[in-house]
Amino acid sequence: MTAQLSRPRPGTAARSSAPRPKTGRRRQDHPAWFLIPAVAVLIVFFFIPTLFNFFYAFTDWSSFKTKINFAGLDNVASLLQNGSLLADLRTTLVYAVLVAVFQNLFGLILALVLEADTRINRAARVAFFVPVVMSALAVGYIFRAVLKPDGVFNAILGTITGQHVDIAWLGSTTWTIVVVSLIHAWKWMGLSMLIYLAGLKTISTDVLEAARIDGASWWRTLRAIRFPLLAPAITFNVATALLGSMNGFDIVQATTGGGPGGSTELLNIFIFRTFGQGLFAQATTMSLALFLMVTILAFPVITFLRKREDVLS
Amino acid sequence: MKHAWKGAIAAAVVTGALLTGCSSPAAPGAASGPAAWPAQSTKLDGVTLTIWAAQNSNKTPQSVIDGFQKATGAKVNVVTIPDPYEQGVQTKVATGDKPDLAFWQPTASELTSLNATQNLQSLDGAPWVSKYDANLGDITGQLNGTRYAALISSPAVEGVYYNKEVFAKAGITSTPKNWDEFLADARLIKGKGTTPFYDFGGGVPWATQWWVQVQLADAAKGGLWDRVNSAKEKFTDTTIQKAVDNYNGLIKEGLFNSNLKTATFEDQGKALLAGDAAMTVQVNSFFGQLQAMSDTSTLNQKIGFFPISPSGNVGTFIPDQSNALVAFKTGDATREAAARQFLSYWLGDGYAGFVKAQSTVSIVKGVDTPSIVPDALKAAAASIPTSVGSMQALATANADLYLNLGDMIQGTKTPQQVTEATQQQFASLAKAQGAKGF
Repeated sequence: MTAQLSRPRPGTAARSSAPRPKTGRRRQDHPAWFLIPAVAVLIVFFFIPTLFNFFYAFTDWSSFKTKINFAGLDNVASLLQNGSLLADLRTTLVYAVLVAVFQNLFGLILALVLEADTRINRAARVAFFVPVVMSALAVGYIFRAVLKPDGVFNAILGTITGQHVDIAWLGSTTWTIVVVSLIHAWKWMGLSMLIYLAGLKTISTDVLEAARIDGASWWRTLRAIRFPLLAPAITFNVATALLGSMNGFDIVQATTGGGPGGSTELLNIFIFRTFGQGLFAQATTMSLALFLMVTILAFPVITFLRKREDVLS
Repeated sequence: MKHAWKGAIAAAVVTGALLTGCSSPAAPGAASGPAAWPAQSTKLDGVTLTIWAAQNSNKTPQSVIDGFQKATGAKVNVVTIPDPYEQGVQTKVATGDKPDLAFWQPTASELTSLNATQNLQSLDGAPWVSKYDANLGDITGQLNGTRYAALISSPAVEGVYYNKEVFAKAGITSTPKNWDEFLADARLIKGKGTTPFYDFGGGVPWATQWWVQVQLADAAKGGLWDRVNSAKEKFTDTTIQKAVDNYNGLIKEGLFNSNLKTATFEDQGKALLAGDAAMTVQVNSFFGQLQAMSDTSTLNQKIGFFPISPSGNVGTFIPDQSNALVAFKTGDATREAAARQFLSYWLGDGYAGFVKAQSTVSIVKGVDTPSIVPDALKAAAASIPTSVGSMQALATANADLYLNLGDMIQGTKTPQQVTEATQQQFASLAKAQGAKGF
């Protein structure tokens, strides 16, 4: 897109899906030193901390001592003995998958419902986008109040059904994780909606018109044409929702704090608790474990999703 | 798309890097210097002191600050650190951020977790230590023989807050003299149709641990926590395991509120005050909650306190964050001296005004407890000279026993798993501290 700043390249008048010429001139459009600010930020705030993360995981850094000594695989060994790490990794994975499913489902439905550019739809899109910019902690605290046994949600249910309802929505050791992942999905569905809307706009009207002339129903068009052509949007949405919620903390901390009975204790909550105990090295080792899990999961997920985009080329 | 998988790797690595947090270590503290104790009204114009406080203690020092500012010309700011307070403070201190003073639990375990020898000023030789009532100067505030914390109010005591009206209605005329009588009264009250005990498993179930700790009072007198500290005894051994089993047994017996799993701290106070439940095993901050909902005369009429232990009425004291302050080594000699002066003023000229403003029990000789202090609080304070230290006061590390007990209430841990998880965490904390045997 920045190519607009330079002279038009020969051949760009062709369709956008044509292979881009890799010429020396293209490189000249962006002097390498333009990268410096971004790379500097990346190194200082991401690469160096990540390297430190690797390093401190193998030390005995804690709040109890002034010196940091190398401790080898000691932290790893004690973590593997501790059942909490594996249990929390499982909880985190379940949570991430649930969030990815719900957030994309809601986002896609909203995008399809609000697809037409009417004034009402524009207003509705803004409304559904508001939770995205809200503070995650505020969202968590609001839902905790709403879902209390004597909260607003039960009161509404009570009015509808005509009887007293006092379900503890955040009190089940089995279902609370579903409730908190729904809250997470609710907060972020506006973002997915936006990306799906953009994806829907890129689908050529020629294809849709051809389908209509062939007599395809709305549902058939969605299933056979629009959904496959949404592949890039799905890649982005699923990857960010899945991998982002693996790192979830704020919403769950504010709604349940990891309870009831540790059934919603994400790894990050456990890390936070361990760090708060002053066991900094152990906490770092856990975040290394999380990093590894996110990375291991990212490869197959992103590869698979990118493969689906082949329909576009 | 040949580049797809390359892109996937790049995206995966970058995503992984972005999604993982990290942190850096603290700078070591400065060497300790000899502490001189300036006179309380030494002029301090131009000096600004910062006090860190929790959400429930940030109003506590107000009357002292007003008096101190007037007397010395110093300026004192209170900064509220959000809950969970201890974790917040520890994290800040670990990254090199320090106030002049902070509210802090004056127990050995919590002083250790602040790395007291490195980060805190020694308060040895303070002029106010000799003025403490009874044994209050000796029971807490010290680590390995050095004083690091200034106790400013009567430490909290774990014991039973009960509704006098419910007791009277059940025909109980005197408070139980030991654990068996305590349970007999509970069963009697249950027979009359009232919930005997109220506890909460919803939210953060921090009161669950009091039930285990009061049962350990006698054992604690016999050196239980010393043995735990030196790895000679474990949480999984009979003494502590039995206390956890008993607590679980009482829940199974139906002596607790039926909404135990979802009830919260706020519900507990309301239930006791309304007489929906007869007793709660709690600490002073619970009574603070009752004071916020009611007035002194109503509380005196309705709510009483008695300490309990298996063999008798031994209380378990647990100084908390609102009971004491620590002074940090900031490297600025003027402010460090000013911080010590502030503590001298608090426990000196400012103390009478402080107990009056806070309507709290006085712990300084020659300063009377205001008459508006409710009876239950006086009873709790009166039980301290014969009481014994809690796990927090005597164990070198404070493992999350309450969370594991909360899990037991929810049914995700068995009593056996509660002690196992607690022991595991205790061991890793003790090991990090360099304790022998771990």
